[in-house]
Amino acid sequence: MTGLPDPIQQRLGLAPGTPPILALKGVSKYFPGVIANEDVNLEVYPGEIHALLGENGAGKSTLMNIVTGIYKMDAGEVIVGGETRDFASPTDAIEAGIGMVHQHFKLVRAFTVAENVHLGWPDTPKRISRRTLETRTAKLSEELGLAVNPSAVVADISTGEQQRVEILRVLARDAKLLILDEPTAVLTPKEARELFAALRAFTARGNAVIFISHKLDEVMEISNRVTVLRGGRKVATEWTENCTEKSLAQMMVGREIVLTETGERAAPAADVAPCLSLSDVSLTTAQGTVLKNISLDLRPGEILGVAGVAGNGQRELTYVMTGLATPTSGTITLDGADVTQAGARAMAQKGIGHIPEDRLHSGMAPTLSITDNAVLREYSQPPLTRKGWFSPKGATNLAREIAKVAEVMVPDFAMPARNLSGGNQQRLVARREMRIADKILVAAYPSRGLDVGAINTMMRYFVELRDKGVGVLLISEELEELMNFSDRIAVMFHGEIMGIVPTKGADVEEIGLMMGGKRQEAAE
Amino acid sequence: MSTIRLQRMPIAPAKVSFVLRIISVLLALLTTAIVLWATGRDPIALGGKVISSTFGSTFGLEDLSLLLSPLIYCGLAVAVALRIGAWNIGAEGQFNFGAFCAAGIALFVPGPTWLILILMMVAGAIGGALWILIPTLARAYADVSELITTLLMNFVAMLLVYWVATGPWLDPSGMALATTARLPVSVPPVWGIVHWGLPIGIILAFALALFFTYTRWGYEVRIAGANAGAASYAGMPVKTQLIGVMLLSGAIAGLGGMMEVAGTVGRLQGGISNNYGYIGIMVAVLARAAPLGVLATAFFMAVILNGGIILQSQGLTTHTVLAVTGLILLYAAIGDEAAHYKVLRTKTGES
Repeated sequence: MTGLPDPIQQRLGLAPGTPPILALKGVSKYFPGVIANEDVNLEVYPGEIHALLGENGAGKSTLMNIVTGIYKMDAGEVIVGGETRDFASPTDAIEAGIGMVHQHFKLVRAFTVAENVHLGWPDTPKRISRRTLETRTAKLSEELGLAVNPSAVVADISTGEQQRVEILRVLARDAKLLILDEPTAVLTPKEARELFAALRAFTARGNAVIFISHKLDEVMEISNRVTVLRGGRKVATEWTENCTEKSLAQMMVGREIVLTETGERAAPAADVAPCLSLSDVSLTTAQGTVLKNISLDLRPGEILGVAGVAGNGQRELTYVMTGLATPTSGTITLDGADVTQAGARAMAQKGIGHIPEDRLHSGMAPTLSITDNAVLREYSQPPLTRKGWFSPKGATNLAREIAKVAEVMVPDFAMPARNLSGGNQQRLVARREMRIADKILVAAYPSRGLDVGAINTMMRYFVELRDKGVGVLLISEELEELMNFSDRIAVMFHGEIMGIVPTKGADVEEIGLMMGGKRQEAAE
Repeated sequence: MSTIRLQRMPIAPAKVSFVLRIISVLLALLTTAIVLWATGRDPIALGGKVISSTFGSTFGLEDLSLLLSPLIYCGLAVAVALRIGAWNIGAEGQFNFGAFCAAGIALFVPGPTWLILILMMVAGAIGGALWILIPTLARAYADVSELITTLLMNFVAMLLVYWVATGPWLDPSGMALATTARLPVSVPPVWGIVHWGLPIGIILAFALALFFTYTRWGYEVRIAGANAGAASYAGMPVKTQLIGVMLLSGAIAGLGGMMEVAGTVGRLQGGISNNYGYIGIMVAVLARAAPLGVLATAFFMAVILNGGIILQSQGLTTHTVLAVTGLILLYAAIGDEAAHYKVLRTKTGES
């Protein structure tokens, strides 16, 4: 049925005829006006790590919510261990050996690790003491090879350890199939490697893992097979070794993605007068000195990349550039005029757009309507506001216009913005900011949490702006993204700029060293 | 065979919310009726008495309107603050202090009635704003929760009014034991004993609704109330807005106090606020901070309170009324949550 040349069982080293742990047949799920899943077939065998790949909104989460009993399917069959099952609730799914670790952990932060592991677990002894719970947890932790400290309070432990607690919770309930939703999004590379080792050990015991991810390199590294979803339907299931990152990306978005295409153009002249200039800018906050003697020129028509490990002053850099923070010392000039003290509103009115790092906390008001969010930058100007009077109708019209160019389908503009998917929110914010970014766009981690297709759209926007003569500051953790799109790359470390290199002929090794705190050689 | 499941939706449809609101009120009344019946009373007769006494006579309607007026002011005061995400638990205190300031003008400033009335309105509003000033500044500049500070200020204002009414401002004629002299001016009546406080409150509600929807200021308050981070990102003066809106909230409650002392009661006396400030919180929450909604919920609370007064004349205690209002809030909260759920009917056992 899967159309693979060899029997799957054989390639996975299983006895012939071994049934899959989980089989989905023709699973469909419809929401009003939306096909969430349609006719999805999937088989997951013991011993395999099965990657589930797809763009935002491709139906991965819905499918897994059906498998774990959160949603009820409209058609199709779920077969677990050879038996047709119809889970009425997540509890049923857990009893059948299917456990899921969600992207946002569902732990009680004020409880200890041991308490969290035992919470809502029928096997928890009737009479409990702190010590029994902790001994049991320590034993489980050892048996399952997941290092946790049973007596630690969850709020105090690292994200990686919290994830191990979540996995331990699931595995302790005898899960045969572990579903992980974007597990590495919150992990450091080291923690991710430890997770991968734990997953391999788990599948080696005859269990299976479904691994949901956007990150192609991870999928390539960890999975045996990969299933790609697009628009709620299955595109294909392939052996991972027969795929490349490029072929997976293509299947995912359904078209050839050209990641490196930035358009033919003349290299920006180095002697063009900068539109925005930071000279010797420092910022001291309650956290100490977060920006130190930053001197930086952004020229019209260029994309200036900012590389560095997150938390090295990038956020604060965007704040001083957009007027959200006033530098403690140093000056900022926009087209030669001093704007050091201008403030956020004036900077926006002068043509500086800002895609903030955390769109839900600063770029949007998620509980308010899409209209209210879309007009955040232009609400105070005609035709929206005349003499202090605000036109709700004008606002909706503008919101419609922005949604149209952002290619976001909005069924109801009065709907709270939080109901939009992350990718669509980001598109709306990006388009809203592009409208005011006549001179400069400051974009902090614009591709964070987006899938390949959405990232590509975002980058297309930036190239479009650049070609119009706007100076774009692009902050990213993905060095590849910066190498592909920026003209120059500045590297930040501990609030300082370690060096600025032209992208053409840049040495990745050198950038890596600067990210670690080594200053650029004086001669360029 | 089909199974029925509930699914939580991110938004509650307005129609469902409305119907559930009505049902929650009916359930609260039903619960009260059952308790009354269990204690050997006749709930139907009592209910009939309440309805006929309230709506069946001019006196009843006048009493109702007099209760409605302070509830509108206090409800609006709390609702306005809620718009920017602040909890004004101190409408009670602002109401008292507004009444105090207005009474001070009436008692000690001579002048033509119209001028004194205007001065009293201004004094009431400024008094209310002053009474929320410290909590406002503490919230804006030191991030101190206004929930606690506004509440604490209530006791100060109430005791202040008790003190002046029984001490320095006590009626010199010796006719009254615990009130000031009758104020020389009063808010003119519009209908029977109902004074201009009520229509002015209604106009105020419409004006606020208009401002929140159709002004730039209203939009900014909406954004700042929903996410202060987004407001400063857009360059809005969040602190100034917070201060402005909270002072406005206090001023509305203070104006309500002025109308009460100069329209309904005629003298300043201890307990003049009669818990209106606290009931105003309920009025605003039930109205979801919508000014026009406040008109409806204030009316509804006035009926309940008036019903309570009638029930007291039938030998029931004030606690009964408090219990009814508490029940309504409880059921309404349940109803609001329930409005998020959709009933799904799925057919199983086919295939």
